[in-house]
Amino acid sequence: MDSQASMKELVEFIAKSLVDDPSRVHVSEIEGENSVIMELRVGPEDMGRVIGKGGRTVNAVRTLVRVLAAKQGKRVTLEVV
Amino acid sequence: MSHMEQTIEAIGTDVEHAISDGLARLGVGRDDIEIEVLDDGSRGLFGIGAREARVRLTLRERREGGKARVFAATPVEPVAPPPSPPAAGAPAQPLSAEPEAVRSPPEGEVRDEAEIAREVLLELLDLLGIEQAQVTVRQAKPASEEEESPLALDVQGADLEVLIGRRGETLAALQHITRLIVGREMEGWVHLVVDVDGFKARREKSLRRLAQRMAEQAVKTDRVVALEPMPPHERRIIHVALRDHPHVSTESVGERDRRKVTIIPR
Repeated sequence: MDSQASMKELVEFIAKSLVDDPSRVHVSEIEGENSVIMELRVGPEDMGRVIGKGGRTVNAVRTLVRVLAAKQGKRVTLEVV
Repeated sequence: MSHMEQTIEAIGTDVEHAISDGLARLGVGRDDIEIEVLDDGSRGLFGIGAREARVRLTLRERREGGKARVFAATPVEPVAPPPSPPAAGAPAQPLSAEPEAVRSPPEGEVRDEAEIAREVLLELLDLLGIEQAQVTVRQAKPASEEEESPLALDVQGADLEVLIGRRGETLAALQHITRLIVGREMEGWVHLVVDVDGFKARREKSLRRLAQRMAEQAVKTDRVVALEPMPPHERRIIHVALRDHPHVSTESVGERDRRKVTIIPR
C-alpha cells in the first residue's frame, strides 16, 4: 500500500466515521517535495464534529496523519475547509 | 428497568437506511430513539463485501433511570481475543466467562462495545500501516470507586514506538479518535482507554514515583517544585498521587502545552 493513498484513507475513514453525512466528506492532497497539504471537506453541520472542542479532534487527526507522513520524511498540514 | 420491550431491529443497505426504516416502523422521529449500530454493513470494516447494515432502535423514554450502557459490577476479566479479526456477524462472544452470576447487564451491549472498540482500533492501526498488531480488550479497574470501569484496549506487537509518540502524544490522539468513533457507533460516550505494550501503565508508575520524590523535595526545601510540562492525563496522575499527601498540595499552572504541575508545601 503506498502511504500517500493511506494518508488520505486514514483521514477519510476517521472523518466518515464521525460525521452525520459521510457522503459530503472529501479529502484532497496537494503534494510538494517535502510536504503534503491535505484539505478535509465536510458538510457545514459536521464541521464541529471533525474539529472538536478547541480543535482537539482535528489535532488528533493531524497527529495520526503525521505518523504516516514521517515514514516518507514529509511534513503534513491538514486543514478543515 | 425493562428497556427491551420498546426495541426493534431494522436493516437497510446502510446504517442511514436501516435507521430510516426503523423510524418509519416505529412512527417516531430520530430524537425519540437511541440508536445502536449492530452491523454497519456496507462500511465493511474488514473489507468484507456488501453486507446489510443492522441497527437496534430503542425508544428513549424507556431508558430513563440508568445509563445507556451499564457495565455490571464485573471484576477485571480478561477477554480472550479471537486470534484474527472476527468476521462480521460472527456469533456472539461472551465478554465474561461467568454466566449469569451477577445481575445480568444488557449483555449484548457490553459485548458489542468491546467488539466495536476492537474493530475500530484494528482498522485505525491498519490505516496507520501498523501490521500484525494484536488488540486485547478487557474491563479495567476504575481509577476510583465512583467511576465506571473503563474498557481497556491494549495493542501488542513489534515496532510500536511510533504509536506512542513524543510524550505519549500519538497514543493520546489514537485513544481520542477511537473513543469518538466507538462513541458514535454506540450512540453515547464510551469510557475506553488505549494502551500500547503497557506503555501507560509503566509511565503511570514512574510518574507516581516522580510525584512522591518531588513532594519530598518540596517539603524538605519548603519551596514550590514545578514539574516539566505534561499532557492533561499525566498531570492528573500527579494530582491524584499527591491528593492525600499530608504536607503538600498540587496545582497546574501555565497555558496549553506549557501547562505543568506545581507541588506546594503547606
